[in-house]
Amino acid sequence: MTTRTTNAERMIVFEGVSKFYGEILGVNRINLAIAPGITSLVGPNGSGKTTLMNLMTGLLRPTRGTISVLGTSPHDPEKLFRKVGYCSQFDSFPPGMTGREFIEFYLSVHGYTRGEVRDLTQAALERVSMQDAAGRKVAGYSKGMRQRIRLAQSLAHNPSVLILDEPLNGLDPMARAEIIRLFQSLAAEGLYLVISSHILHEVDMMSDSVVLMHNGYVVAEGDVHGVRGEIEEHPMQILVRCDRPQVLAARLFEHEHTIEARIHDDRRGLFVRTRRPDDFYLLLNRLVTENNLKVESVAPADDDLNAVYQYLIVSEGGRVS
Amino acid sequence: MALFENSYRPYEGGLTPEWARFLVLPRYALRDVFGSKFFTAVFCLCFIYPLVSAILVYLRHNSNAIAIMQIDVRELLPIGASFFQFFVEVQGWLAFILTVLVGPVLVSRDLTNNALPLYLCRPFSRAEYVLGKMTVLVILLSLVTWAPGLLLFLLQAYLEGAGWFASNAWMAGAIFVGSMTWIVLLSLLALAISAWVRWRVVAGAALLGMFFIPSALGGVVNQLFFTRMGNLISPAALMGSIWRGLFGHFRREVGSYEDAWGRGFVEVVIREPPLWASWLVVALICLACLWLLSRKVRAYEVIK
Repeated sequence: MTTRTTNAERMIVFEGVSKFYGEILGVNRINLAIAPGITSLVGPNGSGKTTLMNLMTGLLRPTRGTISVLGTSPHDPEKLFRKVGYCSQFDSFPPGMTGREFIEFYLSVHGYTRGEVRDLTQAALERVSMQDAAGRKVAGYSKGMRQRIRLAQSLAHNPSVLILDEPLNGLDPMARAEIIRLFQSLAAEGLYLVISSHILHEVDMMSDSVVLMHNGYVVAEGDVHGVRGEIEEHPMQILVRCDRPQVLAARLFEHEHTIEARIHDDRRGLFVRTRRPDDFYLLLNRLVTENNLKVESVAPADDDLNAVYQYLIVSEGGRVS
Repeated sequence: MALFENSYRPYEGGLTPEWARFLVLPRYALRDVFGSKFFTAVFCLCFIYPLVSAILVYLRHNSNAIAIMQIDVRELLPIGASFFQFFVEVQGWLAFILTVLVGPVLVSRDLTNNALPLYLCRPFSRAEYVLGKMTVLVILLSLVTWAPGLLLFLLQAYLEGAGWFASNAWMAGAIFVGSMTWIVLLSLLALAISAWVRWRVVAGAALLGMFFIPSALGGVVNQLFFTRMGNLISPAALMGSIWRGLFGHFRREVGSYEDAWGRGFVEVVIREPPLWASWLVVALICLACLWLLSRKVRAYEVIK
């Protein structure tokens, strides 16, 4: 019992959570335990990502089930929001405010004293590299600067959990790389970052785990490679770059777990689809030795979030946003 | 699985008391409001009548001035319940103008900017949000209604003497209660309209309409049916009754007419609705406004 309590205090836990908007399903029967690090929510529009985030922050109440954020109920805002920072997807700025005032205002609402507000604001601005532009009106900011200032307001009070709805939207590649580095540094310090995003390759790059959502249900969760390994109906695709791909293809077809072998357009590689990747790698070693093949590289071609998304969501009728 | 250092330390310092957090909203909002020169000018104009009243009160007690002007200010300007009731009414309508200028954007701006989730993802409840927004109007309107009213009352008491103060202290209560009732009604109506009508001009017009259209309708009902029951749908008439009641000038019988009854004529007395009915309707309007606010002031609007 004690261990269970301790775990609940270290995780963001959803137990049988459903949310209905009247007769419309928001999310259904969600059971999740989110650990420290970067967890990405991925899914098409309307899949329930934002609903899940709003449930976590107590902005919506679940129709059924319970949620606990590091042992705190979302319905205890006084405790919850000392631990949680939230950045909504909306471009919501009160008119006429400078970046610094925007952060200071919401920190004041949070209950910090004026001195603390000043110090925390400065630290947050430095964290997102916005200290130079902080005195300018938000209305004059570029989209990337707005994203960063919103991010700053969500982390200004030093929360343990950061819930960020589409934080990479509108950022140019340089700014995205910078923000991802910030996320990674926060995660490395032990923060919980729950991020929703449509930019799959970047989610893949930065996430410790992903939660794939579709039509209000969690389709898969966990490490991307682990999730990919469990999708049995889509055999793993592996690209072998070698000097004689046609020889390798002929030998591979002698084995039943090889489903497809297709020579790369440049004729210096072979795409192989196999149901048993582990057996394939052992076989490849043998064939390379027996046939004296020169292999440049062997890499999974669909062991990433994009492939997982395609197999689990797009092929099931979802649309890529 | 990534290895986490857990070197991050959340904020563990002190916080301001929970009860005081709603005051952040008026602090920032008032700064914005007074950023408008037009509003500041109107706000300053609201103090002309209190200033004139204070001068009259002073003159009334200054024998030299009375001698110079060679008129009996005491006769011209009796200072009593009627004087203060008139003061509350005049300042009340100026407060209405301020509400029309400030009220329409208070909630609508946050709804338009999707800012409510930003407020509510903090230790800050919907009730505190409404209280904070209402406080903006309460502070502004108090400054032009009961605050100068009580100062005027104290000036009169100071010049007239302790005996006058003792026998008229109830008037201070009437000034405060009458003004605050008006302020609460105006604030809640303005916030409710602001929550439901996002376009500033339309919201302002709606607020004006809330007072003038029911007044006109009530007047028509009164004329058609030789009654005063139409006043129950007019917020302005309701407040008029409440103010008269508080200052001791409320009379139910306000007129009579002769009506054919059988073979002769009988005199029918026209009566105002009872005072408790005015209080009740004002309370019901306030409750309706709170209900309307509770429907709109949410982190997310569920559209069915």
